Amino acid sequence: MTNADQIKNGYIDYVLTHGEQPKTVYNFAKKLKMSEADFYKSYPSFISIEKAVWEDMTKETLVKIKEQKVWAKYTARERVLSFFYSYIEKLKTQRSFIIYTLKKYPNRLTTPDLLSGVKIIFYDFAEGIINEGLEKGELADRKFFSNRYKDALWIQFGFIINFWIDDNSPAFEKTDEAIEKGINVTFDLFQRSPIDNLFEYGKFLTRNSKFKEKMGI
Amino acid sequence: MKTQESMPTTKVERSVKFVTTGFKIGGNYVKHYSKKLFDPELTRDELNEDNATDIYNSLSELKGSALKIAQMLSMDKNIMPKAYVNKFSQSQYNAPPLSGPLIIRTFIKSFGKSPEDIFDAFNPVSTRAASIGQVHEAILKNKKLAVKVQYPGVADSISSDLKLIKPIAFRLLGMNEKELNIYIKEVEERLLEETDYNLEIRRSIEFSKACRNVKNLAFPQYYPKLSSDKIITMDWMEGLHLKEFLATNPSQELKNKIGQALWDFYNFQQHELRAVHADPHPGNFLITPDEKLAVIDFGCIKELPDDFYHPFFALAKPGMIDDKAATIKAFRELEMIHPKDDKKQIEFYYQSYKEMISLFFLPYATSTFDFSEPEFFENIYAHGEKITSMPEFKQPRGVKHFIYVNRTNFGLYMLLNELNATIRTDTYLPHVSYINQQN
Repeated sequence: MTNADQIKNGYIDYVLTHGEQPKTVYNFAKKLKMSEADFYKSYPSFISIEKAVWEDMTKETLVKIKEQKVWAKYTARERVLSFFYSYIEKLKTQRSFIIYTLKKYPNRLTTPDLLSGVKIIFYDFAEGIINEGLEKGELADRKFFSNRYKDALWIQFGFIINFWIDDNSPAFEKTDEAIEKGINVTFDLFQRSPIDNLFEYGKFLTRNSKFKEKMGI
Repeated sequence: MKTQESMPTTKVERSVKFVTTGFKIGGNYVKHYSKKLFDPELTRDELNEDNATDIYNSLSELKGSALKIAQMLSMDKNIMPKAYVNKFSQSQYNAPPLSGPLIIRTFIKSFGKSPEDIFDAFNPVSTRAASIGQVHEAILKNKKLAVKVQYPGVADSISSDLKLIKPIAFRLLGMNEKELNIYIKEVEERLLEETDYNLEIRRSIEFSKACRNVKNLAFPQYYPKLSSDKIITMDWMEGLHLKEFLATNPSQELKNKIGQALWDFYNFQQHELRAVHADPHPGNFLITPDEKLAVIDFGCIKELPDDFYHPFFALAKPGMIDDKAATIKAFRELEMIHPKDDKKQIEFYYQSYKEMISLFFLPYATSTFDFSEPEFFENIYAHGEKITSMPEFKQPRGVKHFIYVNRTNFGLYMLLNELNATIRTDTYLPHVSYINQQN
């Protein structure tokens, strides 16, 4: 085990046993039988450990889903679905700790500093998928909006995690449903829809009929 | 194939769906009557067609139990107008599948492994639909397998679906809710059983073993170790569905052979096992290249208790139906005639049910029966249409067992009709020990 791993595991263990973070880095390092300097070599603060746990889980999930043989055949929609199912499975292994870290951020509407690293990783993943989806025509390329697709997925990210934290159903079945529905709705919006056609039609009418004159424009 | 991307599962969403349907049916009636104002010749066929389309569309989006109910209604052709039947018959084939990642998720939950880790090959796109699940092709050790995966959340939603479908059933069948409850409960029990894949795999093994001596049947082998409460793994059966089979222009001899296998399969179960595969939907059978009938779904089993079996099948005995006293006694036991019916009502129900039962048991009256005979089915339809329009039959009568027994036998007759088969009907006869006591 590397120094960083030892600190990480020790920290998780400490937090789950005591229900709070260690009082000082000095005290915690002493418990791990290392010097404070050893701690700072790996992590600048306790919160950075928590951030690292989240980031590691996210990265590990991404590696794992991309290893699936079916991955190459998946559409953008399926890739995102696959990510969330695997992510929840992964988070399950550290559910108590995950809940502990999030409980410190009662405002669930904004991205907490805790997840700032995860957000970068997720955006990178989402952007790749969205760009491929746009290229293949699976997703509708809309001026201004296409750039915001990843934000919509990040909102889903927050929603799904929050849903899972409060989920009491056996085997978190309700979270599965939340994922299936939420991601599908989001992707339905990314695809070409009647609204696009309506918009196109409106544009056509304003350009090509006497509509303009009649409206006195 | 188009993948269904969302399945409305919360009760509210489902309610909305059903409400929309109810609303649309209302709209269809308005459309019908306003058209009729100008064109008095207009028949209800078009209206029925419109209604069936709307109901089917919303049911197929709901999946699960609602789809099952659509199928069930589609089997009861005797009480459903033709337009409903044609639309509903599609239900098994056209159910759009759920997303691939969710399938993998279900595997991980059941076995801790993804399908690609369990099988040598697994096709994430479902190739066949099962009503409460979907079927995937897989290969393990050079053997082609069929893996049936249940839609998540199906069991939860059945009861709420049935509650929601009641007003629609009430409208369609003209029944009142209180009377309908006992039947709905029977349906609910069977449907909940169907969601129990552990039970299904046990029964599949049991029934395929029990029926192994019935001629020209084929059963897949089941793999309990590769099955769970949400997944069933069995051999992949090669073969054609009934419609595809008929499209190949099979010889009359072959059609008779398959028809005979169907008849024997059902009647062996009814009379020898007293429990019957109660889902004679074309989607549950395949005709194999070596001219056998493969049975691929044992989800729905109806057991026939003695107090139903004996009085009911006693009526199949030639001549029995003309013995008025004995027949009325059987009708009473089957609750087709109620204790508080007066003399006039007894006579009325005796005559009507006599007609229905004689039709039902007509194939048993002779040792061979030609199911291609359109007259037989026209009579059944005509009778069905007649009784649906009679106020006396507004409330359902008869013990609850009739739902599945009717569905099974009429379903069987319909399949034999589609095959145009002539078959021997005396291969597995009822064993009735029915003592005719006069009360």
